[in-house]
Amino acid sequence: MSTDDQDSTPEAKSPTPAAHGGEDEGRRTFMKVGVGALGAGLAGIVVAPALKYTLWPLAEGTEVTSGGDDFAIVGQRSEFGPEPVKVDIYADRVDAWNKTRNVKIGSAWVVEREGQLVAFSTVCPHLGCAVDYSPEDSKFKCPCHRSAFGLDGAPEEGPAPRSLDALELSNDEDGGGLISIRYERFKQGTEDKVKIG
Amino acid sequence: MNKLLDWLDERTGIRALMGEALDEEVLGGARVRYVFGSVLTYLFLQQVVLGILLATYYSPSATDAWASTAYIQDQVAGGWFLRGLHHHGSSAMVVVTLLHLMQVVLAGAYRAPREVNWWTGLAMGGLVLAFALTGYLLPWDQKGYWATQVATGIMGTVPGGEPMQHALQGGDQYGNLTITRFYALHVFVLPLTLAALLGAHLYLFRRHGVTPPAKLSEEELKAKAQPFWPNQLFIDIAAMAVCGAILVGLTYETHGAELFAPADPASNFVARPEWYFLFLFQLLKYFEGPLSIIATVILPGAVATFLFALPFVDRAESRQAKKRGPVLAGVGLVMVGVIVLTALAIVEDAGNEKYQKGLIAAHEDAEKTRELAKKGVPPAGGIAVWQNDPEFAAMELFKANCSTCHAVDGKGGQEAPSLSHFNDREWLRGAVREPRSVAYFGGTKGHTDMEAYAKEDLPDEQLDAVIEYMIQLREQGEAEADASTYDAALAKKGQALWEDELECSGCHEVEKGADGVGTPVLWGRGTRAWIADVIRNSGQAHLYGDNAEMPKFEGKLSEADIDTLADYVYRQGWGKADAEAGEGDAH
Ligand code: FES
Repeated sequence: MSTDDQDSTPEAKSPTPAAHGGEDEGRRTFMKVGVGALGAGLAGIVVAPALKYTLWPLAEGTEVTSGGDDFAIVGQRSEFGPEPVKVDIYADRVDAWNKTRNVKIGSAWVVEREGQLVAFSTVCPHLGCAVDYSPEDSKFKCPCHRSAFGLDGAPEEGPAPRSLDALELSNDEDGGGLISIRYERFKQGTEDKVKIG
Repeated sequence: MNKLLDWLDERTGIRALMGEALDEEVLGGARVRYVFGSVLTYLFLQQVVLGILLATYYSPSATDAWASTAYIQDQVAGGWFLRGLHHHGSSAMVVVTLLHLMQVVLAGAYRAPREVNWWTGLAMGGLVLAFALTGYLLPWDQKGYWATQVATGIMGTVPGGEPMQHALQGGDQYGNLTITRFYALHVFVLPLTLAALLGAHLYLFRRHGVTPPAKLSEEELKAKAQPFWPNQLFIDIAAMAVCGAILVGLTYETHGAELFAPADPASNFVARPEWYFLFLFQLLKYFEGPLSIIATVILPGAVATFLFALPFVDRAESRQAKKRGPVLAGVGLVMVGVIVLTALAIVEDAGNEKYQKGLIAAHEDAEKTRELAKKGVPPAGGIAVWQNDPEFAAMELFKANCSTCHAVDGKGGQEAPSLSHFNDREWLRGAVREPRSVAYFGGTKGHTDMEAYAKEDLPDEQLDAVIEYMIQLREQGEAEADASTYDAALAKKGQALWEDELECSGCHEVEKGADGVGTPVLWGRGTRAWIADVIRNSGQAHLYGDNAEMPKFEGKLSEADIDTLADYVYRQGWGKADAEAGEGDAH
């Protein structure tokens, strides 16, 4: 506790350097390291749980939104034919803290191909706009980047990397011809159809 | 690293700035007593960060606030911890603000030339309380809702306060606008104002420096001076670390902040403010009617005025504490008053049985609703979470389909038997003794054939035996009969009476698969399956046959609903007695 020392910061401008109580370099270093260590510890109190907290929706086994993993009834067999019909899909939906019964979770085009009904998700496989049907040229058309798809869902024009996403469709012959669809979402922009969620 | 710093320094002068910030001379040397301001700054910054984190999940609307808070508290990883830190952090801010204030008063640091700094400090103290008040409501739970009702209610009773109250809560009632306003205040207005005041406060603090001990001379102060960095900063950060450690410990200890059941405007919740407002709550008890303004405005206003005027009130020629006796006594008196009132409030509540009971009920509701919320809260909002409760669904079904004729707990019609205690021993006894009372078949149109059995014809001990036999018959109808639910010896006696002496068997069959004669077969009578059968169609041959009066619910209600109802009715009586007896055995 004898020598007075100048602060190591270049611009140190202690007005009265000689007036310091005086302490050895070791003590000062200890304090500086202590400030750093305690400061980091204090920040860690919040930062560590905050990371887990913020990234929680991505965590394994966490489902923040879900709805309609089961088949949802969309109409009678007789309502559908070779001309595509757009149907809305209703299901119970859990969205973070909410559970809503019977809400619209998406839509699909239903069309008859060679006597069989097929369903396509209206979500464009390019970047997710809602695909329309254009009766003049019998094509599905995306309003965003001009992708066009044939009635079989195959891409014919534009940037779409794959066909429209076919959805599982069930035709309940015994149950009065009710048509139901399992609604799923798929990754956008990829050549392969990969389910998400 | 150094090169990078050089590069940055050339363009920004960052070294000079850092030097400016850190190379402050602390006259008289670094001291523990100077830590409070730094600790408060740390707490404030931490609250800001925590608040932003909470805002990433919280949704400020009357329908979503509680649900999203429950989501943070019970589902999001680490949510309870961060919310708990934020909650206890506000308590810490109040405590440290008080300590800071007392240190400043003791040191006489409010005196010239630091008056403006004193005022900015007081204003910030007020803001800390405003933060607490606005934040309390945001979870939209029972506690926050009702306690804040009281606070805004007080505002409304003050002369001219009603327009203010309505402006603050966005209308004459609580709702979405209340929560959006409180939210905007809590996360934008108050933090920005506090940050601005904090800037001014720090600027003035640097301008005047610390207020060193009054007894040291100029020379001594100079001789003992130490640099802020690292000497004072080290002490400051050590104090912050202590504060942080206490906060973490408290948060773990309490598992974060409480979250009560969702705000229910129809309930009578035992509202209490946060602990640091308890003194005001207590003060209010002493002033009734028109006098309450003394507690709500006049006294707090007087104290605030006194504190603001302190630099002028204090006319002592020196900063030394012994020269400022009256001023210190004045502030001390206020502190003592606050502490005594707080203690009184706590003691009174501890001895208040009604409050304690209410608190227990509140905790039970909280636990239940939060469990239900894990299934997702219906979009109708907080209290709609009760719809997730199977019991609620059953009660709703009962209300809609059954209660026109059947009562439970005294609520419902009297055209058909009351289903409270349905089928327990007491109920069965009553059904034999007085079948035509309104609690049984008195309200029905038919059901007049069964005669009341008087005591002379059927003494109590015989009746008990018969009832035991009926319970045995019922139990035999269960998929897994449990012989421990009845007294087999007694039932045997009952069976003998039934077969040899009594007239019951003239109308009631006891065989499995038998048909009745417009009267229920007693084998399996009263099981859940049997009740469900009655609900489906009470005109079946083994039930009431041609005497049936109850509408058929088969086809009208789904099988699942019928089962729910059957289970509900079952649990009103025998099921309840059974469960309680089971519990009793286990002990
Ligand atoms: S989103 Fe459909 S073409 Fe781009």
